[in-house]
Amino acid sequence: MSTLPPPEGPQTPLSQAPTALTPTTTTSAASTFTFPPIYAFPPFFTLQPNPTTLSSQLHSWSTLLQSHCRHTRLTTLTLIDALPHPPFTNPTTRRSLSLADARTLISWMASPDGGHRAEWIATSSGGKAGRAGDAAPARCWVYWKRPEEWAAVLEEWVERTGQRGSVITLYEIGESEATRREEFHGIDGDLLAKSLQVCVKRGKAQVFGAEGSEGVKFF
Amino acid sequence: MFLHQLDLTTALRPSLLPEETLLFVQDAVGLYEGKYKIPQYQNGQAYLTSHRACYVAHSEPRQNSVAIFLKDVERHEFYAGFLKSSPKITLYPKPSKQLSRGASTAASNASTTPERRGSPAPAAPPVSATWVCPICSFSNPVPSNFDPATANARTPLPPCLACGIKPPLVHVVKAAISAMSNRQAPAPPLGYNDGSSNAPVPGIDNPASSGSGTIPCPRCTFQNHPSLTTCEMCGGPLGSAIDKRLDIAQSIGRAESPGPSLSSPLKNETIQSIKFSFRGGGDKIFYERLKNALVQRKWLLQSAPPIPKPRPASGSFEDAYSGNADTPAADPGRSKVVGIAGLERRGLEQKMNNEAMIGGAFEDLEALMTSAKEIIALAEQFSSQANLGTNGSSDANALASASALGLVTTKDMLGTGSGSESLYVSELSRNLAEWLTDDTRGILRREGGIVTLVDLWAVFNRARGGVELVSPADFEKAARMWDKLKLPVRLRQFKSGLLVVQGRDRTDEKTIASLLAWLKELHNDQAKDLPWDVHAFGRGVTAQETAERFGWSVGVATEELEMSEEAGALCREQGLEGIRFWENWLVKTPFHTLET
Repeated sequence: MSTLPPPEGPQTPLSQAPTALTPTTTTSAASTFTFPPIYAFPPFFTLQPNPTTLSSQLHSWSTLLQSHCRHTRLTTLTLIDALPHPPFTNPTTRRSLSLADARTLISWMASPDGGHRAEWIATSSGGKAGRAGDAAPARCWVYWKRPEEWAAVLEEWVERTGQRGSVITLYEIGESEATRREEFHGIDGDLLAKSLQVCVKRGKAQVFGAEGSEGVKFF
Repeated sequence: MFLHQLDLTTALRPSLLPEETLLFVQDAVGLYEGKYKIPQYQNGQAYLTSHRACYVAHSEPRQNSVAIFLKDVERHEFYAGFLKSSPKITLYPKPSKQLSRGASTAASNASTTPERRGSPAPAAPPVSATWVCPICSFSNPVPSNFDPATANARTPLPPCLACGIKPPLVHVVKAAISAMSNRQAPAPPLGYNDGSSNAPVPGIDNPASSGSGTIPCPRCTFQNHPSLTTCEMCGGPLGSAIDKRLDIAQSIGRAESPGPSLSSPLKNETIQSIKFSFRGGGDKIFYERLKNALVQRKWLLQSAPPIPKPRPASGSFEDAYSGNADTPAADPGRSKVVGIAGLERRGLEQKMNNEAMIGGAFEDLEALMTSAKEIIALAEQFSSQANLGTNGSSDANALASASALGLVTTKDMLGTGSGSESLYVSELSRNLAEWLTDDTRGILRREGGIVTLVDLWAVFNRARGGVELVSPADFEKAARMWDKLKLPVRLRQFKSGLLVVQGRDRTDEKTIASLLAWLKELHNDQAKDLPWDVHAFGRGVTAQETAERFGWSVGVATEELEMSEEAGALCREQGLEGIRFWENWLVKTPFHTLET
């Protein structure tokens, strides 16, 4: 992604100032992401000590992160790499979230309070998921749709396209031309597998095949 | 009236008259009238001042508080207590006071009794006095309106009738005082005038013609005719004639003056005696100090004139240093000397001034009356200085200095009963509250309405001038009493543990409102080209800026900001330059809904 201002000008309410640094949008392949006004509020990048304010702030952050990831079709984040870029950094106001605060945010999102909208990806070193510490994992899921929701989307798609009972490969679901218009097109392989596991648990599908060339059959 | 309405300060202590000093305080005191307890006056604090004995009730202090002027006290009695009976001090009102009041309240002939102003001398002015001119030795009458207690250098004096030279003030005062002490009976009403008198002198009794025998002149022993008021030979007054005429005068002029035993229509005005019952101890010291106060009669000095300050011939010494409030500002030509030289010079000036004062005053003991105030103060100061090294009686000096500063509660003044420690703390608490709310000092106002307890402690002890310093523990205890005593200041503890003092009307809500109002103002501040929408969010403020803006100390500003943050009104931004506080847009404009 780029932090350069697009010449066409964003539709954000924060862009009236005459300076060239004002846009709060970032370009992606297709369109621009519109940041909420609070993104330009400097204290937004400091986690608040007041619990009430903090809860509201984390909520806002969670929403922002989810919508930004959905916009950029990202399902996993590597915090160290993501920090210098929006949404963790606002180049306009030159404010950014610290690594510790970002970890707190992800942990909060992974907790029941945050609605399980994130999940730490355990690293090989054996760091426990959901804990921000020395052995804290560097990567995390950002569930702008949780696996259960993806499962529902997949089931709906199978139902709609009449593919019940037939075997579909995972590549077909994620990458084929047939699913180009679907929301799950280009979905991360691991996330797709997670979602299909949900379907299996519900008794709606069966996964078989060897590693790397699995197929799924919806009942 | 023997019992007077008592004005209370904001801290519910008696508000002192000018020149009045507090001598003693004792709690758990009840009042009796005669033998009977006065309802609602049974639990309170007794304040003994140099002028009054006051009672302030514990509950409803504004209503149930009375003062007795010591000048109205005829005599006092001490009862040490026995078994369950508490020690008591009885004060008896002056009968003469009652007499004149009884006459004025009686229905008949009230107008013939002259209204006495609050003169320290309870009886009539010594109108029959004469002064002998020092130049021509002619006997002049002292003016009828001349009162030695209030006379000062500005009192107009008539010149000698024979030679026309004005007499010295001291001379006239002396004559008036000697005449006063010679007088044997209170003068009847001034308006009374016997028709048979040839040359009636106002204010002097005119013996009626029906009297028996002749009257010997007290000065020259000439036997005068009873109808004369002045001696035929020497012109001296025949004042002693009154005694013989008393019975007749009563039948004519004194009928409207009932004796003390006569009950006047108003019950509460015929008070026989007032008893202070000391249920919590402290009676002995109270009585001791009461006796001293009655001996000292500080109220007599109320209108005493300041001693004229003789100026040395060289003219280089000014009395501006003497600390006298009456002294006008120093001459503009006076050169200012600072440092050690200034201190030395000040000491020298003080010494010369004292010398002049003593020299002038002791020339004639009677003249002490005119300069009594300074001389007594000087004598007290000398005695305390003399005692300073020898024994532990420097307390008096400390007491005097402290009371001179208007900070009157010292441990020395308080009773030694069971609750003396708590009484000290509560008195200190009231004292502090009074001092804080005193508009002339404006302690709180200068500090932006809020001051840390530690700062206040330092300021308070400095104001005490190095005497009777208050320990931090006592100070904190006193401050914590404010809530209990319902005083107009309060102690507040911030979440960090910092203790601050502020007015009771200053609530957190008001502080937050003023902070928010200020932050709103900053929305229009376009001074800097800031990279965010100043119009929408305003600007963050540091504790430093807040302290400057509101006149707080930085510590207080930090605490107030954090308090507002705690309340959810502000939020913080941790930056390289420290913490800035902002309006809480995180809560006001959240981003909670995920668009689909």
